[in-house]
Amino acid sequence: MMNTPQQVKNPSSSLKSRFITRFLGALTKITAEDPISSSSPTRIFQRYRRIKVASNKSMAYSVRSRRIWSRAMLSRFRSRRSAFSGRRSSVKTTNCTTSPPPALIKVTINEKKTAKGGLDMQTDELRELVPGGEAMDVCNLLDETAHYIKCLTTQVQVMRKIVDFYHLSK
Amino acid sequence: MADFSAQSYRQPFPFLDIDPTMESLTQFAELNPQSFILDNSAFNFQTFFPLSINDSLFSNQASQGETMSGFIHNSNQSSVSAQPIFSAKTEMEEISNKRKALDISESSSGNSSSTSPQVSETGIKRRNVCNSGRGKRAKSNEKEMEKPKEVVHVRARRGQATDSHSLAERVRRGKINERLRCLQDIVPGCYKTMGMALMLDEIINYVQSLQNQVEFLSMKLTAASTYYDFNSESDAMERMQREKAEEAKELERLMREGYVGIGGVACFHSSSTYGPL
Repeated sequence: MMNTPQQVKNPSSSLKSRFITRFLGALTKITAEDPISSSSPTRIFQRYRRIKVASNKSMAYSVRSRRIWSRAMLSRFRSRRSAFSGRRSSVKTTNCTTSPPPALIKVTINEKKTAKGGLDMQTDELRELVPGGEAMDVCNLLDETAHYIKCLTTQVQVMRKIVDFYHLSK
Repeated sequence: MADFSAQSYRQPFPFLDIDPTMESLTQFAELNPQSFILDNSAFNFQTFFPLSINDSLFSNQASQGETMSGFIHNSNQSSVSAQPIFSAKTEMEEISNKRKALDISESSSGNSSSTSPQVSETGIKRRNVCNSGRGKRAKSNEKEMEKPKEVVHVRARRGQATDSHSLAERVRRGKINERLRCLQDIVPGCYKTMGMALMLDEIINYVQSLQNQVEFLSMKLTAASTYYDFNSESDAMERMQREKAEEAKELERLMREGYVGIGGVACFHSSSTYGPL
């Protein structure tokens, strides 16, 4: 993992350790509260989905609100939860905190068209991949992508280790 | 070497919390196209971009160095630009006056405010990296004027348009290129010779593959946890069942023996006891 200047913080509170603690807590909760004695596929799929959501959520919480993508992801989770609970909130609420004011959006769209006409498709694709990418200009988008990639690699690393532990303990 | 005390990294706010300030400052930049105030500190500390100095941009700044020297003196002695700092000479005196005013206020505030140790650490590291190549970059270092503050000065090169829009474009493109370069280091399979389109493709593929890996690993985790639980559960159940079966057999044997040995009463007794089994 990259050890960049501003990651040289308190090592006990690094992104990786925060994620590990949160994710392991969520995992134990999931496996404890829902013991699958019968291997019904629906139950297994439910558990898979819960684990996946727990993984993404843990990462987003570990990053807090320091990044646009983490904020977008967190608000997505919250809106989804409120939608589940029956309230009439739209599932994909726009993030008021992250969308820049309209004037800036207009300018960035114009800039995009004039400066890089052929790369709009790719930037749009990237916007879809990175959470909260729709409201970002290209500059911020690349920035957020870099951090997002870093967090994703952490996630993958940690999850792989956990799977190995499971296999070893058997 | 850098004089860090004079360095004004004026960030009263933690430098990770840069996004709202970026937005507000870019707003301000839109309103004042001429003065071009952008918060470049974001580029220095927000991300983990390796140091990259755009040499080509500063090759023409030899002549205009002296006028900026006074300006430089206030802020930094050496420069480390994580993002290119262009010194603008195309603008009028008002800009330079504004800059000087800003600079004075900034340096004063910088001296009073405490520079966060992390900031100076990163600065020191960057300076070390930069100063290793100081010999050939001495000139450009002077001109680069590392100012991790609000003012971006764009220098128009010879033969280039000097209106504010193209300057803005150039600044923007410089920023984007720099970020792309950093992404290039992170994403495996990106070659420097690739253009922006190819690199974006690679980046998109990489992000997608990472997301798929997360999904796959969570499925693996599910399988591992289910199998583990299920297995242990079924084992326990089997064991219990086996034990019960053995017990039942034992009791049956005892019952038969008892029947033979003791007689009708014992047999009856034993059978009644073991009936509900």
